[in-house]
This record gives sequence, structure tokens and C-alpha cells, in this order.
Amino acid sequence: MFARSSKRSYLFLSVMLSFCLLLGIGAASAADAVKIGFLGPITGSDASEGAAARNAFMLAISEANKSGEFPYKIEVIEVDDQSTENVAVAGAQEIVSDSAVVVASGFWNSGPAAASIPVFKDAEIPLLIWGAIRESLTNPDNVPYITRSAPTDKQENIPLAVKVLDELGYKDWFIVSDVGSYGDGNFNAFKAELASRGITAKGEEQVPEDTTDLNAVVQKIKASGAKAVYCGSTVAIGSQLKRQLFEAGVRDILFCGISGMKTEDFLKIGAEAAEGALIVSPGVILEDTAEGRKFIELYNAQGYSEPIGAYTPYAYEAALILINSLRACGEKPTAEAMTDAIQKSETTGIMGATTFNSIGQTENVAAYLNVVQDGAWLPLEKSEYQGGKRGFGAK
Amino acid sequence: MEMFWGLFMSALLLGCTYTLVAIGFSMFFGVMDVVVFCCGDIAIFGSFAIMGAYAAMQSAGLFAVLPFWVCVALLIIIGAVFCAALGLMTHLLSIKPFHNSSELMPLLSTIAMGTVIKEILGLLFKPAVNAVSKMVGGPDAMTVVSGRNPQAFPALLMPNGSVLSRNITIILITAVMLLLLFLFLNRTKMGMSMQAISQNKELSRMTGINVSKIVVITFLIGGVMLAISGFLLGSYQKLMSFDDGAMYGAKGFSAAVVGGLRNTWGAVIGGMLLAFVEVFVSGYIPRGTAYSSIVAFVVVVVFIVFRPEGIIGEKSVEKV
Repeated sequence: MFARSSKRSYLFLSVMLSFCLLLGIGAASAADAVKIGFLGPITGSDASEGAAARNAFMLAISEANKSGEFPYKIEVIEVDDQSTENVAVAGAQEIVSDSAVVVASGFWNSGPAAASIPVFKDAEIPLLIWGAIRESLTNPDNVPYITRSAPTDKQENIPLAVKVLDELGYKDWFIVSDVGSYGDGNFNAFKAELASRGITAKGEEQVPEDTTDLNAVVQKIKASGAKAVYCGSTVAIGSQLKRQLFEAGVRDILFCGISGMKTEDFLKIGAEAAEGALIVSPGVILEDTAEGRKFIELYNAQGYSEPIGAYTPYAYEAALILINSLRACGEKPTAEAMTDAIQKSETTGIMGATTFNSIGQTENVAAYLNVVQDGAWLPLEKSEYQGGKRGFGAK
Repeated sequence: MEMFWGLFMSALLLGCTYTLVAIGFSMFFGVMDVVVFCCGDIAIFGSFAIMGAYAAMQSAGLFAVLPFWVCVALLIIIGAVFCAALGLMTHLLSIKPFHNSSELMPLLSTIAMGTVIKEILGLLFKPAVNAVSKMVGGPDAMTVVSGRNPQAFPALLMPNGSVLSRNITIILITAVMLLLLFLFLNRTKMGMSMQAISQNKELSRMTGINVSKIVVITFLIGGVMLAISGFLLGSYQKLMSFDDGAMYGAKGFSAAVVGGLRNTWGAVIGGMLLAFVEVFVSGYIPRGTAYSSIVAFVVVVVFIVFRPEGIIGEKSVEKV
């Protein structure tokens, strides 16, 4: 009996010892790694944008690890925020609770970004926003922890307004957005552009974020006599609005909007229904620059199932900014050192040179227009709409 | 006037989608005295089952071999089989085990069942459909994107016809479904047994009605109704999301409460009333869309307070 008991104790001790050794090995390898967090809508209604951004971010980190330049391995804690505030906050908590994390980059949706910012500020972990555009996310209160390499909603709406209001000359507008953080920001930004030109919209509507039936809004647009519709929302609402306008016979009208709609999911409503949608996109036309072409080649070589979206280059660029900042922090980067390094960084990438102003907002603002032509997205200047061969609708 | 008729048509279509979900609630509540909160999720599961089967049938080349309407009928049958099975599973897993428990238990367990259905769609739709498609179609198989992404519902109703003809077809299908349900409930022995159970379960049992069997059949028929609801929803909405079920469930339940929870025709009236309120508030009140759902739910609350038995429900009096 005693012998059997001793044997069992011996076995138990051996298992425990092995376990401790394994833990020890784990700890040793953890010490050789620097962790960074990535947050975005990898699944959910905005997944096509978030998953492509995740791919690009991971690609840049993988390239940095392969280069052998760093004396440690860069590991990424990936969080799928599902475009939802509470999921994003839980993800942010997960990231900041890991003591090896020195920085994070995240968010395509402004709501989850706004909800998670206090978590990063409290933990004193710097957060670089790669895609959420609500203007107030970068402000003096969030210095020095929050920076953003993407343009704000205001910055994005300006080139669109210049095109449709000043160049194309549309005067009769109906503006639509969702009531969420992203939609509301765009709604106000475009309304301000109209107001600055002395234009009052013929109608305006803000819909709940889960709205799927926009036929009542379509009837209002029809009755208002508007010649142009602005949609400052994401693809879920934007694509349904465009489709339902088409189905209701409202076709001789300009439909324009913001980058949240420039995804492959928008094209799922069909080539005919999607035709002529004019959407502003942040950044530069990738095919037109050597850096952009290099990025397209590198991304496509990986065989990802998600194509490059409007913010995919921004996620890649955000990773480059973090890598550049890690480089500036020497062999043992800390969150404190990274906070300082990001603020002072100057990173040259696809968009040109990115630096940050006193409230952590990028000073490098670029945007261009896209249009759906025959079921595919094209830069406006390369489409038949630019030359006048196809038209957006009567003014 | 053009706007009025446009809104009227939108409300009618939206009402059709609410009505069929509401009927599911009414049927289940009628025979089981249980609010099955996953009705909306079962309907969405139906539309996803149809989309998945569509991809597999396209991959197998069935659309090139069989007439289009046969393929559509097959797709609806597949959706109906999946939803009937899911209805049965809901009964077996989240209602029957709590037969002698508090009324809250099946309520909570059907909410949990809805979450399970939603997550299964999100996680398994892509791998399951793509595996089947590749098995039947080889390397050129039609594939689907992750279940958590918005899915484009195929054009199955009047694909070459006008939008108006599609809309009228949706209304007609709903009307035919209601007529068939009416005939089933009032002209068949089984339907009348269902009504008897809905009125008095104990007395029904004493008169020799096999209550357990009728309950199972109710869940199967309810599942089929929800599958057709999912089909119509997809045909109308075109883009489906795996998490639409909670919203449609809430609307369907509200419609059933407004109409009268035990009454099938109450579900129709409630569904239509709710849809008309939502659409006309959106249409005629400036910036009203943001408040349309709030107004609709205020209507529900008003009914709960002032007419809890619903528009055509009967007052239940408990004798001591």
C-alpha cells in the first residue's frame, strides 16, 4: 500500500516538475518577445475591411520579424472587436493586462475606439488608431497616449464635398447616416460642408445602426426632389440604401458617400444597383506609386481571401510606424518609451511621410475618389465617369 | 400620394416578414405556453440554409440540369427541413427538459438557444458550405464568405421580373401560407387538436388527444413557417446577416403580443400594425427613422398595459 502511494506521489511530482519546466521555458521565450496589440472588426458586418487590415498589419510585422533586425520577436495579440463597443473594451482589457505589451494599434469603427481609449490611457499603453475617423478621438485630453495615422471624418469629407458641390455643382441634397458614432460624425461633417456653401439639404435622416429596411427613407428621398444623396454610414446601410433606391426606380440621382462603404461587400448588391456610387477613400491610389504597387504585390502574394480595402494600406502603415518606433526604443522597448517614440516618429511609407501634430493626429492627409463601374471599384480619374462618357445623374 | 402608396407597399412587405415570425411565436405559445425567443434566429437559420444549399447546388451544376423553379422549390424544401429539425431540437433541448420548472427557465433557455444558433451560423456556415460545395463541385465549386460577413441572398423570386412583381410574389406567398395554415388548423383533425391544446391542455389530454405528438408536430410546422419567413426575408432584403435574428425575433414577438399571443390571426394583425407604424413614422415624421422602432415598441407597451390579451385575443379569467 505504502509502495503504491509512493509511486503515485513520485509520478505526481514528476508531472508537476515537467509542468514547471514547461512554464519556465514559456517564461524564457516570453522574455525574448515584445508584444503589441491589434484590434479591428475581423468578423461581423465590417469584416471585409477589418480582416484585410489585420492581414496587412500582420504582414508588416512578419516582414519585420523575418528581417532579423530586432533582438526580440514581435508578437501580436489579435483582438476581433466585431464593431461592438463592449467586445472592443474587453479586448482592450485583455491587451493591457499582458505585461509584455508595449503598444497597440486598432479600430476601424469610431464607437469601439472611443469606448476603449480610456482603457489604454489608464494603463498608459500607447494606442495608434489605424482606421477610426471620428474627429474627437484625437484631442488634447488623449495626449500623449492616443495617436492616429488615418484622416478624420472632417478631413475625409472635404475632398468629396469639393468634387460634388464645387466641381459637379449639385445643390439639391438629401443626407443620410446612421445614428452611431461613425455615422453621426460624417453626417455633421458633410452638413457643415453644405452649410459653408449656403446650401440647406432638402431632407435628412439618421437611422438606427441595425436598420435593414430603408424603403421609407427612399420614399422620402423621392418625395423631396433631391438630385443627390449623401450617405455617411458603413457598408451595411449604404449598400441597402443604394439597392433600395435602385429598386424604387430612383436611378437618375448622384449617390455619394464615405469610405466605410468602399468594400467588396458593397458590390454584393449587384452591378446594376451599385453602378455610379461615388465614394471617397483615404490615402493614395496604390497603383500610381512605387510604394503602393510594392504593397499590392506583397499583399496579393500571400493569397489572402480578403482583397485590399480602403483602410488596408493604413493598417500596414500603422504597423510600419510601430516598427519604426520600436527601432527608436533600442533593445528593451517599454510602453513609456514607445509613447514618446510614436509622437516623435517620422515614417515614410505608402502614403508618404507620416508625422503627428500636437494632439496626435497625422499631418499627412490624402484622399481620392472611387466610383463603381460595371460591378467593380475604380478610381474616379480612371473611370468613364471622369471623361463624361457616363453620368452621375441630373442636377 | 405616390409617397403614400410607396410607403404602403413597403409596410405591407415588412408586415409579411414580421407576420410569419409572429405566427411562429403564436403557434409555440398556443400549445406550450412558452415564449420561444429563438424564432427570429430559426428564420435567419432558414435563409442561411437556403443560401448554403444554393452554393452547393450551383457547384453541382443542378441549375443547368433542372428547371429553375424546381431548384427554387428544392431550396425551400431544404430550408424547411433544416428549420423543422431546428424547431424540434429547440423543443427537445430547451423546452422539454424544463417542463416542470419555473416558466422563466424555457424563456431563458430559448434565448440561449438563439445565441447558439447565431454563433453556429457565424462559425460554421463558411466551412460547412464550402466543404459540401467542394465535395460536389470540385475545384471550381462556388464558395461562400465567413458566416459573420453579410451574405448576398440569391435572386430566387422572379429573377428576371420587375421589383414590383417580386414584391407582389412575396405578398402572395405570405397569403397562401396563411390560407394553408388556416385550412390546416380548421379543417384537419391535427389542426383542431392543436387548437384544443391551445385552449385547454388538460381537457385535451382527457379527451384522448396525444398532446406530446401534437407538440412535436407544432414545432415541426412552426419550423417550416419560419424557414419560409427566412426565404421571403432574404428575397426582400437581399443582404442577410447572421445576427439579424434577435431583431426579427423582437419584432415578431411584439407583433404576436399586440395581436394576441395565442391567436394566429392576431399575429397577422399585430405584424401588419407594427410594420405600418414603423414605416409611416419613418416616412412622415422628419428624421423619424431614428424613432420608428421606439414608437413601435411604445405601441407594444401600450397594448401590454391597456389590452394585454392583444387586439383579438380573449381575456383569460382564472377561476379559483
